[in-house]
Amino acid sequence: MAVLNPVTKAQLRRFCSVKRGFWSLVIILILMFISFFAEVFINSRALVVYYQGAFYFPTYADMIPGKTFGLDYSYETNYRELKQKMDREGGTGFVVMPPVPYDPYENDLRLNEYPPFPPSFSHRHFLGTDNVGRDVLARLVYGFRTAILFSLGLLFLNYTVGISLGCAMGYFGGKFDLFFQRIIEIWSNIPFLYVIIIVSSIVVPSFMVLILIMAFFGWISITWVMRTMTYREKEREYILAVRSLGASHLRIIFRHIIPNTISVIVTYAPFAISGGIVALTSLDYLGFGLPAPTPSWGELLSQGWQNMEAWWISAAVVSALVVTLMTVTFIGEGIREAFDPRRHTVYE
Amino acid sequence: MHEPESKKISRPILDIQGLKKYFPVTSGVFLRQTGNVHAVDDVSFSVFKGETLGIVGESGCGKTTLGRCIMGLYPLTQGRILLDGKPMSAMSRKMRKAFSTRAQMIFQDPFESLNPRQTVRQILEEKFRIHGVSQKKTITQIESLLDQVGLDPGDLTKYPHEFSGGQRQRIGIARAISMTPQIVICDEPVSALDVSVQSKILNLLLDLQCAMGLTYLFISHDLSVVRHMSDRIIVMYLGRIMEIADARNIYNHPGHPYTKALLEAVPVADPDHPSKRIPLKGEIPSAEHPPPGCRFSSRCPVAQSLCFEKAPTLSVCRHDPGHLTACHFPLSG
Repeated sequence: MAVLNPVTKAQLRRFCSVKRGFWSLVIILILMFISFFAEVFINSRALVVYYQGAFYFPTYADMIPGKTFGLDYSYETNYRELKQKMDREGGTGFVVMPPVPYDPYENDLRLNEYPPFPPSFSHRHFLGTDNVGRDVLARLVYGFRTAILFSLGLLFLNYTVGISLGCAMGYFGGKFDLFFQRIIEIWSNIPFLYVIIIVSSIVVPSFMVLILIMAFFGWISITWVMRTMTYREKEREYILAVRSLGASHLRIIFRHIIPNTISVIVTYAPFAISGGIVALTSLDYLGFGLPAPTPSWGELLSQGWQNMEAWWISAAVVSALVVTLMTVTFIGEGIREAFDPRRHTVYE
Repeated sequence: MHEPESKKISRPILDIQGLKKYFPVTSGVFLRQTGNVHAVDDVSFSVFKGETLGIVGESGCGKTTLGRCIMGLYPLTQGRILLDGKPMSAMSRKMRKAFSTRAQMIFQDPFESLNPRQTVRQILEEKFRIHGVSQKKTITQIESLLDQVGLDPGDLTKYPHEFSGGQRQRIGIARAISMTPQIVICDEPVSALDVSVQSKILNLLLDLQCAMGLTYLFISHDLSVVRHMSDRIIVMYLGRIMEIADARNIYNHPGHPYTKALLEAVPVADPDHPSKRIPLKGEIPSAEHPPPGCRFSSRCPVAQSLCFEKAPTLSVCRHDPGHLTACHFPLSG
């Protein structure tokens, strides 16, 4: 559809007029952009290396052994040391490092000092390091990427199951609806946390496994909502009208019911995303989330808790959590406002 | 328009035989059925080609349910619907889909019956799409449809909320008459509209009937509208037919006490008009527990003991084969 429906247009306009929601969306989009291209901003690999008349761009390339640059080892080049060496020697060669020259897995250890190191501009650890010397900012950003991808993936799975099943329940009703209602009631009584603990004690959950387990329990609420909405829509006269035109069930569901329930689907999404972030963070905090070296906010949070004197760890992760959850919630609020059918007139 | 005599010779286009529609009343977790709402209870009649058959009754008497049953929107509890002598129940899915090009429906509320997220073009195209008409043919057909119902081609890109009630109902009518149906079921097509707009829509319906040779099943609670439109009239009460007769006959010489009461309840714009109405006692009984015997017996001013025991059948009234009344003691004169 090239031209946007005027209803949608009006909703978009109303969303943009809710300033808090609009700017939150801008902030979240910037954060997502930074985290998806985090290799450019936060990485131990150089952006550009100029060595003996040739340019190298190691960021997204294969590993370049140290011998390439005249170093005496064949494992991956340590670009920070290469930069220091080149700066010392002068000459035509140069190395451009990202603003934060550390990757999230790397332990930056020094002689006679023990991590965690406090924030320092000279070492380019803007938010300090954790207790094994990994850069906190790097872990925050990469952790954000994991969390957002996790939430989006979870949202997608939950919506696929929830919308199709909820629509079917509401549309076909009868015994089918009754059967799944009871199934859901039983299902929602399975203690979700225990299942995760049991599963993660048997296998170390990978990203996909964790999403699947979460989706296993997460589809219920959107299913209920869609079921109710479909029930309401299908009895309206315009649905009867298309039915009497001879439309098939699929046509009615996809062309008429879902477009008219889209406001619920969209309004629900930001809250589901913030729910996903919180769920992943708390699982990681408890140690039942993603396996150990994966950068994650929950793991940072538990480190911050164990090292209260290294205040920068907990301060960073708590503020990141607050900012993210608040912006996502503001976006949700803005969307809800934009989709609210009851518009209030305010006399000033 | 009004030539019922000549029309009666033609064969019925639609035959309703013993149609029953009960809605189950359920309760408890497992939705156990505890009763039935007798929305339409044993209704039989025929619709002849080219006529307008009016159906009147108070709200809740089953008029709308009857229309929706005929349209195939509700499954029947019992009974048969014959189209050109062929029973609908014996039709395959494909034939049922084809049926939707022959019978169409105009809905009561033009604010509800159009999808708010579709343009007029999309709304009108829908039917051609469903029945696989080519794009080119669709466009020319839609243009002529707009012309027929008095809408502007520029309206095609607009959305329903940009129109007034009367214009929306025109869109609904255009949708109903697309692909030239034979029967159009008009389910209270003007009751949601302003009085000033009502007559325009009614005249449009009459013009279309003339031009396309449509047969109307005209459902309404408004007696004056039905009188204006119909050749024959069916009076319904609590899911049953009380009386069937020619429009003129039923207004001048009602045979059923209910019809009489209904007619006398129409307000007359004359303060000196002598009121001789028979006031109806009480409320309509619940359709879940209709009274035994005659449905109207609980409120009938002339009911006798027989009326409470035995339900009357539709029988010829005053030796006029076109005038049927379901009453043990039909009114005379």
